[in-house]
Amino acid sequence: MILRLAFASLIARALTVGMTILAIALSVALFLGVEKIRTGAKASFADTISGTDLIVGARSGSVQLLLYSVFRIGNATNNLTWETYQDIASHPDVDWIVPISLGDSHRQFRVMGTTPTFFERYKYRSGKSLVVNDGAIIDDLFDAVIGADVAATLGYSVSDPIVVAHGLASFTEHDDQPFRVSGILEKTGTPVDRTVIIGMRAIEAIHVDWQVQGQSTPADALRQMELEPQAVTAALVGVKGRLKVFGLQRFINEYTQEPLLAILPGVALQELWQIVSIAETALVGVSAMVVITALIGMMATIFSSLNERRREMAIFRAMGARPRVIVGLLVLEAIVMATLGALVGLELLYIGLTIGQPLIDSAFGLWLPIEPPTLREVWVLLVVILAGAIVSMVPALRAYRMSLADGMTVRI
Amino acid sequence: MKILSFLVATAITVTPVLAEENRQLDAHEHGVGQLDMAFDGKQIAMELHAPGADIVGFEYEAESAPERAAVDAAVATLAGPLGLFVLPDAADCSVVQATAGLEREEEHKDDDHVDDEHADDNHAEAKHEDHANEAGHTEFHAEYLLTCADPTAINNINFSYFDSFPNALEVEVQVITAAGATSFEVERDAPTLDLRGMF
Repeated sequence: MILRLAFASLIARALTVGMTILAIALSVALFLGVEKIRTGAKASFADTISGTDLIVGARSGSVQLLLYSVFRIGNATNNLTWETYQDIASHPDVDWIVPISLGDSHRQFRVMGTTPTFFERYKYRSGKSLVVNDGAIIDDLFDAVIGADVAATLGYSVSDPIVVAHGLASFTEHDDQPFRVSGILEKTGTPVDRTVIIGMRAIEAIHVDWQVQGQSTPADALRQMELEPQAVTAALVGVKGRLKVFGLQRFINEYTQEPLLAILPGVALQELWQIVSIAETALVGVSAMVVITALIGMMATIFSSLNERRREMAIFRAMGARPRVIVGLLVLEAIVMATLGALVGLELLYIGLTIGQPLIDSAFGLWLPIEPPTLREVWVLLVVILAGAIVSMVPALRAYRMSLADGMTVRI
Repeated sequence: MKILSFLVATAITVTPVLAEENRQLDAHEHGVGQLDMAFDGKQIAMELHAPGADIVGFEYEAESAPERAAVDAAVATLAGPLGLFVLPDAADCSVVQATAGLEREEEHKDDDHVDDEHADDNHAEAKHEDHANEAGHTEFHAEYLLTCADPTAINNINFSYFDSFPNALEVEVQVITAAGATSFEVERDAPTLDLRGMF
């Protein structure tokens, strides 16, 4: 009975109620969206590298090294000389080492020079290996393996020629040394998707005579050349046994010939979260405030509706409704509004995710999974509904006290 | 033009000779120690670095008898890891190897001496010693190897370390397990390291 009344009353005031619900829905969608991006970003970052014990680069900050070597965010302060790289590679505790050389680009995508070992050793999402979807890994000097996003965005298929440019967003293209797409990798959800991978030697080859205008060494001559790399940007290192990781880290950090930095990827990530957590808290705080604002907005609409409904309330009371029925009616209306708001908000979130997922992925390399609401999200929704009920108590109690006298007194 | 390029060329070849010496110093923060722990199978390797100020309260070379005694006592305490980092009984851990010592942190010098400089060598070295006494920091360094019947039972570690060394305020802990690497900060106010979810 009271439920039917509540619904009927809400439908009668469809426009105002609709607006209130929309406000709550948007605020809920915002709050949940911030949560999704926050957790999605963390998971996506944490999933990007696994199985690597140490990352070695020029001495800078551990977060910076992690960001440029693995996430291709920012740039290296310095490179590692090839000599140093060899020194580390020959350390008895080193199980495997993979060089990474950055600094060239193909269109908007970064080019990474490495060795074929990279495909074996690079692991993501707790131990998954890279899979070549189409074609094969680097064999010839001018072979390039491209990530799934590179292939999708530029419409490349195996054996298409590609041209590598010097520097990021630069106009100096090494168009005299065209590469060939030898393989396309399966989508990983990591920055590898947006990377063109070529051999270490190829990086040297494209720089053999790029500074001299008009001169070009034929590709076959280059294939014959020694082409020893001079420098690498960073190196991924696997250690023989976990007990030796710290020892090797210390050896590298105290290496006197060149200032180096070795980081544990997990520890650097943690440091990153510590930096980000302040902004994160602020974001969550702001979106929580938006939810509170929407709920207060709802309280205001209920208050103003009390004026319109003075007669209605008085008639209910005259018909024999107890004051607590009036309170119940108003609170129930608020709960219905808050619930609808929460559900619409959830729906908006999923619509937003469906639309935004590919955009966010291509713009930031962040893959936000579309999953059923987590327990935490369900709790958030329940809290919003409960808060809506509590907030509505204020106008409801006012109506409780005023309903009879107010509605019956004829005001002039 | 020719001359200029000659000058550039000489500058490039000469500079490395002048800059033969490498200078670097590790970071050193009083009150903050570092503990690295690696779990592998039944073995746990630990490495502790703590500033002299944390452990004995001074960082100059121990001269008086009480100072020397303090250093000796500290080294002896540091050599007993299970008394400093209390592991749950269920893990049933024992010490395989424990070493502790005091290191004077000096500039890491790596001189590739050029012949001409040899004359000054002794002199320079002596000066360096003096300098280290004035401004150098000392660090206690300990390495442990433990073996545990059930390392997965180590869900927390109680840092009695803070009771033993009243000047220590914080330990930065890095942990490597099969699940990956993470870091923690253990502070005097809450001297327990929670390792749940690390195995």
